[in-house]
Amino acid sequence: MICGIDVGSTTCKYVLASSEGEILAQAYERHNTRQAEKVLEFLTRLEREHGLTPGRDRVFFTGSGAGMIASLVGARVVQEVVAVAAAVERLHPAVRFVSEIGGEDMKTIFFTGDGSSKGKHVLMQSACSGGTGTFIEKTARKLQIPLEQLAEMRYEGYPLHKISSKCGIFAEADANTLLKAGVPVEEIIASLFEAVVYQNLATLTRGNTPMPEVLLLGGPNLFFKGLQEAWRHHLLKIWKERKVPLPEDQDPALLISVPKNALYYAALGCIEIARREPEHVGVYQGGERLRWWIEEGQYEEKKREGRRGLWTTPEELQQFRIIYGNSGRSDSRLSLRKGRTAPDLSRVILGCDFGSTTAKAVCLSPEKELVFSCYALSRGNPIEDAKALFRQIRAAVGDGEILAVGITGYGKDLLKGIIGADCAVVETIAHATAGLYVFPDADCICDVGGVDVKIMILKNGTVSDFRLNSQCSSGNGAFLQGVAERFGIPLEQIADYAFRAQAMPQLTMGCGVFLQSDIVNQQRKGWQAEEILAGLCTILPLNVWIYAGGLNNLAQVGRKFILQGGTHKNLAVVKAQVDFIKSKVPEAEIVVHPYSGEAGAIGAALIAHEWWECGGRTRFRGFDVIENLTYKTTTSPDTVCKWCPVNCQRSFIDVELPGGKGRPWSKVPLPEGWERVIVNNSCPKGLVEDVNEMKVIKAALEKTKNAYPNIADFVRKEGFRRVAT
Amino acid sequence: MRIPTLRILFGKKASAASPPKDRSSVRVGIPKVLNIWSTHQFWVGFLTALGIAPENIVFSSDTSEEQYREYGKGRGTVDCCYPVKCMSGHYGELIFGQKKKIDILLSPMIYSLPSFLRGHVLDTLTCTRVMAGPENIKAGFLKERDVFAENGIRYVSPFVSLGEPEKVPKQLHLALKDVLDLDEEETARAVEAGYRALEAFTQKMRQKSREILTWCARHDRPCILVLARPYHMDPGIGHEIEAELQAHGFPILWMQYLPIDDDLMQWLFGEEIRAGRIKSPFDISDVWPSSYSSNTNEILWGAKVAARCPWITCVIRFSSYECGMDQPTYTPTQKIVEASGTLYFKFGDLDATKPAGSIKIRVETIVHYVEKYSRDLIRRKLAALPPRCPLLEDAAPTSESASLAA
Repeated sequence: MICGIDVGSTTCKYVLASSEGEILAQAYERHNTRQAEKVLEFLTRLEREHGLTPGRDRVFFTGSGAGMIASLVGARVVQEVVAVAAAVERLHPAVRFVSEIGGEDMKTIFFTGDGSSKGKHVLMQSACSGGTGTFIEKTARKLQIPLEQLAEMRYEGYPLHKISSKCGIFAEADANTLLKAGVPVEEIIASLFEAVVYQNLATLTRGNTPMPEVLLLGGPNLFFKGLQEAWRHHLLKIWKERKVPLPEDQDPALLISVPKNALYYAALGCIEIARREPEHVGVYQGGERLRWWIEEGQYEEKKREGRRGLWTTPEELQQFRIIYGNSGRSDSRLSLRKGRTAPDLSRVILGCDFGSTTAKAVCLSPEKELVFSCYALSRGNPIEDAKALFRQIRAAVGDGEILAVGITGYGKDLLKGIIGADCAVVETIAHATAGLYVFPDADCICDVGGVDVKIMILKNGTVSDFRLNSQCSSGNGAFLQGVAERFGIPLEQIADYAFRAQAMPQLTMGCGVFLQSDIVNQQRKGWQAEEILAGLCTILPLNVWIYAGGLNNLAQVGRKFILQGGTHKNLAVVKAQVDFIKSKVPEAEIVVHPYSGEAGAIGAALIAHEWWECGGRTRFRGFDVIENLTYKTTTSPDTVCKWCPVNCQRSFIDVELPGGKGRPWSKVPLPEGWERVIVNNSCPKGLVEDVNEMKVIKAALEKTKNAYPNIADFVRKEGFRRVAT
Repeated sequence: MRIPTLRILFGKKASAASPPKDRSSVRVGIPKVLNIWSTHQFWVGFLTALGIAPENIVFSSDTSEEQYREYGKGRGTVDCCYPVKCMSGHYGELIFGQKKKIDILLSPMIYSLPSFLRGHVLDTLTCTRVMAGPENIKAGFLKERDVFAENGIRYVSPFVSLGEPEKVPKQLHLALKDVLDLDEEETARAVEAGYRALEAFTQKMRQKSREILTWCARHDRPCILVLARPYHMDPGIGHEIEAELQAHGFPILWMQYLPIDDDLMQWLFGEEIRAGRIKSPFDISDVWPSSYSSNTNEILWGAKVAARCPWITCVIRFSSYECGMDQPTYTPTQKIVEASGTLYFKFGDLDATKPAGSIKIRVETIVHYVEKYSRDLIRRKLAALPPRCPLLEDAAPTSESASLAA
């Protein structure tokens, strides 16, 4: 007998055949990341029920997880694409194109020529979740669609929406936005199928046309009817466009087939190849060594594979804690102090940072002492957020005089006029000002927040380069926090847990989707929560600098690095950052900003301070005006965003303000003396009310552009025209 | 239109040639990519002179993801250079996306460029990857079947040394004689017409730049210079980043079209020439000895001008993802520009997607610095130059508003 076993990323499959190739048994099961256990279960079952016999029968393995397991049972490993191609050539000589989509990978095979000159061209990708089965399932899970239902969902006839085809995590976010906007799940799923087929065609055809006949293989292609429809739709379109000759007497859709045993092609290919190999190759040696490996061996391997913890000697850790333990707040270089028992708040400069999750404020004395700070969680209404923040400031400042107000964060443009702020400062400038004020010789500021990573590269006292990553989840604090939550570890204790680890698993940098399955895999090998957290802290710098920031050469950035942002309140992350940066730039000096969470607000205050020193007199409206701001909120069909098919249900918050320009042209007209703030939009475009406002904005923009020309505009306009005479 | 020298040269042939051929109905498509962005008018002038109706000279539209999705999908090649890679979308659009079908797809392999630095530098060659781009992209349309032939299109891809005008007539005649039924004389004449059109266009752009600088000088206002390859003017490649700065009230100059008038050049470089540090205003050997690449040379020269010209207080550098030609120039250009305190910001690794969020924050950051430092910078840079600025001696604008509006 010959047994072909395919150890995939989510399922294992086997096919048992007689030496003549006649199929005796086949099965597939999900392994829930326990590949070795599932294979042993298969082999035991085959021995018991079908008489698979060690020393006589032969076993051939294929699939991404085959390598290690095969050697333990004496099996031969066949590369998966080779296996699939062997099965296809045997069973479907007329097939010219194969797409096999797996759990975490995707492949295409192009067959060219005929007979002896038959060649094949293989393309595959397995580094990213885009276009794979996980991509669909992850999003479907988020939408709470059971797999059975997902399998029956269709593609044809639904309006499609734009879903990122590149990354599973983006796709999930897109799907979420669509759902929130009230798009039916059927349309979202159809759009997902579209994204998968697009991704496969875009990345895995490389100039080749998928010619008929076409075979679709692998779990997702077999199970998801909608995905099959999406393939048919796209392939027929391509054939028509590229005038591929099709048989006239046949429905072209029939040229695309999904065999019933589409899951088993790799395993079938193993049998095909085994039959061509000499009798002594791949002889089954029984499951004993595999059993030993499952029960003992893998834990020994854990020790071998792992690396040391976040520190080598207790002294080293102690030294680190001395330097970084108090976030450097007592450092003598600081000119910002918080020490006094009764700070003088009689004359202050105010700095506010309206971020996406919290709003923070600080007060500086005219001597630039930090005399007060506070924060408020953002509740989605910037007016209420501002009121909450200013109530706290008023309680502290009392009758004190506000000399100047600086404001930063994404809410700065909305709130500047409403508060009467004197300086609206872009985030980078605010952070750089705060960082350079404390560390004037810094070369780089790395701000890791909950949801985004910002890297500011400084040169001659200016921000010369800036990297923002708010799209890829790997590298941000929320991911670490999410994993800790699953382990039941509170945020502020992550560092203590992580420092307890004596050793830790080596996790893979990059895609958060695969990182999640990597974690499950490591847990299975016996790694404990604190060890996994330590491992996660260790790869965070890689994800921040290399994967998200795209900076491979840290030495080029400089030698003095400031770490700030909430995530750097976690000392284990700081330790990992310090070790990582020093490994790249040995002479590096790494400091944590003493007020890492408030740096933005401090920067805004410092800039307002400068403005005040140069003779500026504040336009601050006063606490009473802010407290008594009258506003009305409109949420109606008229406030729905029409810029894209997502159709966000926005709200308009209209604030009564002396000197407000009003919006007479709006569908929700606003008289003079009022200003409008738009919220609940999911992208910047939604901040513009509608076509009418766009016209107003465009007209103003055109005027500016005419007054300040751009030579490229002339080239674009005139360079490709007929020759002027 | 006739040029005496040519009549002498080809006099006999001209008289023997058959009457002018009617090419007015021939439709030629040109992918608007790469160095077409700096030689556009040459091709328009050349084809028009051959009797092709101006309305029958079709350029593909600006690069866009939609264009690539619609027309380039699955015909892509393995090339990390996005400006080359996106060409398959342009080819596809010209083949499939035209209401009136084209007869000829003209995608020249431009080996060298006509540059104002020619004679002052070692050579004015193009990037080899860019030059050979058409070969690479063509393959995606020939791989399985000849897509050009199927659509009744003649594909021509002349190898052309635009930097050496004397070679061009022969090169274009060789490549186009069959598809357009050309003789040598008319080719030579059309080539001259092409150069004339390009030169006229370039002159006009340089004049516009000079007007902008004059306005800046009169009003003590800063402007921003873009250092980039010509194709970064393509909204799908350069993502119109400079337009966002323009919207904040700064005129935008491009290095390709800086004024090169003698008075201005002497004002900026005269002292260094007299001191013997450089031989001419266009000598870049002090900063870039291996001056072979045309666009690279011009970028380096642009950096030198930016460092000296008072009203250029900020330089924006564009570079596409993994550009091997740009790589060695990053540090030199930055150092040259910053030597005089001029602000320098690089937008590197540009590819198909526009990172709008990050660009918005960077633009606001740049605006902050330009507003903060320009006044001082202009003063400092002026102090380093001879007293009489030729720009301030230009004729005063007729209207008192002195607006720059076109």
